[in-house]
Amino acid sequence: MLRVLLAALSLCIAAGAGAQAPVDAGPKAAPKAAVKPAAKKAATAKAPVRPTWAELSADQQQILAPLKDDWSNLEVERRKKWLGIAKRYPNLKPEEQARVQRRMQVWAKLTPEQRRQARESYKSIAKDKDRHGDLREHWAEYQALPPEERQSLVPSEKKRR
Amino acid sequence: MNETNETNFGNRVRLVLNQGLRLNAKQAERLHSARERALAARRPEPVGALAWADNVLGSFGGWGGLSMRLVMPLVALTLSVAALYTWQQNRVIADFEEIDSMLLTDDLPIDAYLDRGFQNWLKTRAAEE
Repeated sequence: MLRVLLAALSLCIAAGAGAQAPVDAGPKAAPKAAVKPAAKKAATAKAPVRPTWAELSADQQQILAPLKDDWSNLEVERRKKWLGIAKRYPNLKPEEQARVQRRMQVWAKLTPEQRRQARESYKSIAKDKDRHGDLREHWAEYQALPPEERQSLVPSEKKRR
Repeated sequence: MNETNETNFGNRVRLVLNQGLRLNAKQAERLHSARERALAARRPEPVGALAWADNVLGSFGGWGGLSMRLVMPLVALTLSVAALYTWQQNRVIADFEEIDSMLLTDDLPIDAYLDRGFQNWLKTRAAEE
């Protein structure tokens, strides 16, 4: 009996580990052609994802204002994440707050794959931050390179795999 | 039928019943074989699954034992899995919140982190220095 319970528990842990993807699965919009009328009906009949925009506090609405139009399309996990970011917001410096406001909409509109790539790159660059020096300067220098040179630096799909 | 006749009829019936049924050997044999045929033709009762379920239930010590040995652990397991799943989801959300906050406030624009050429260029530079 104990062995059966342990086996079931380990299966569930494995399933839980594999359940990370839905947290940032991206926009709910599936390929339109694949949505059958019945499924559409069921989707519209579902209870609204909470919290809705109207349920946010005035402060939260003010901080997350750039996301207002997209809020109804965000999954519950992404809403939770944004509420967490809104909670940190008052502790940021004014210039950081301005950056968050500017980037919020851009970030929310990225595809899940782009967000994944940006996070991975951030981790990778942050790891060697001391080695790299002033990143803003490097970015400006890189952008000043001729387009064909910058293009040649992009690793090919084959290489990356 | 008056009261005396009724009493007489009742007494005669009682006498016959008390004497029992007198059957000869042939009649007894026919009745016996008819009974055997009826028994053989009787449909078997669907006791297989019930008997199995009863045995399983019995092996767990009846309904009380079943709830203690099987249902309670399963309920506990389900609750544990639900708690584990929630914890895992919250952890993933917290991780994304942390890294996304940093990305949104970072000195470099988001485009820099989406540009694979820039990362390659940074690595090459760092290796050269």
